[in-house]
Amino acid sequence: MKMLLRLLLLAALIAAGVWLWTIIFPGPEKIIRKRLAQAASEASFKSGENPLTSAARAETLAGFFSTNVELNINLPEHGPHNLTGRDEIIQAAAGARSLAGSLKVELPDMNITVGPDKLSAVADVVVQVQTAGNKDFYVQEMKFTFQKIGGDWLITRVETVRTLS
Amino acid sequence: MFGRNLKWTLLRLVIWSVLCVVVFKLLFIHIRVDGISMLPTCADKSTYWVSRLAYLWHEPQRGDIVAIRFVTPDNSISRLEPPHIVLLKRIIGLPGETISFVNGRALINGVILDEPYETLDCNWNCAPVTLGPDQYYVVGDNRSMPPEDHTHGKCERNQIVGKARL
Repeated sequence: MKMLLRLLLLAALIAAGVWLWTIIFPGPEKIIRKRLAQAASEASFKSGENPLTSAARAETLAGFFSTNVELNINLPEHGPHNLTGRDEIIQAAAGARSLAGSLKVELPDMNITVGPDKLSAVADVVVQVQTAGNKDFYVQEMKFTFQKIGGDWLITRVETVRTLS
Repeated sequence: MFGRNLKWTLLRLVIWSVLCVVVFKLLFIHIRVDGISMLPTCADKSTYWVSRLAYLWHEPQRGDIVAIRFVTPDNSISRLEPPHIVLLKRIIGLPGETISFVNGRALINGVILDEPYETLDCNWNCAPVTLGPDQYYVVGDNRSMPPEDHTHGKCERNQIVGKARL
């Protein structure tokens, strides 16, 4: 019994050690997950947001992307939209804020594949968007390409994925 | 609240908790329909259970209503984790078959598929699609909407989460 308890304690200690290690030294996948969640949070906004806050958050959102980022968005009801560079992202974010009263962006499911060089990664993401006064939400599958630039994982390409094709 | 023996009560509590997590998180998923693509079989806002055990011993069959994950899982342990958002569709095409729509009727290898569940008007015309060895063709029952507004097409076997229990 004593031996069993010791073994259980040892197993618990090892598990705690592994968990602590992943917290202190997160792998690329965990970092990318966190960055995507942060980007979704920055893309979301509530009605009546202060213009200065809006501008600052749009700048923060652009910071998740590389300077030469390419966005190819093709939605069935809206047609294709292409954006290039951080400035166009900031403009698009400002435009979205003027068009919609509020926006809630969530990323419920994602699958991240880190390249063998550990400097690039692709995230297949389900994006869930809900606008003001709308109970229903819009769901779109998207692909985010990441590159590690200057120590940061930045989004270099975003494209919509046609589900079931 | 507790039994006579606290140790056994706690053990029972742990076993029941683990059992609940396994059953209601891993083996069966509770889903809520959001949308009209499966009308008239599945109404908007209705709820169903999806069994993840359904395809342990046999492969998906034609006519099955299945939950499909958007993002194809990798081979890590995380694939056991159920997705938060799934598509609810009916399988009409099996691996290796060629599927097309002509004047609203689904054709499998050129032969009209009998679909008694199809009660809404449909005038779809879609070019033939040949499925790979691990691919299924899935579509909703509501084909009264334009095909471009209706998510349908090929899905990989590992995207199928389980069979919906109506």
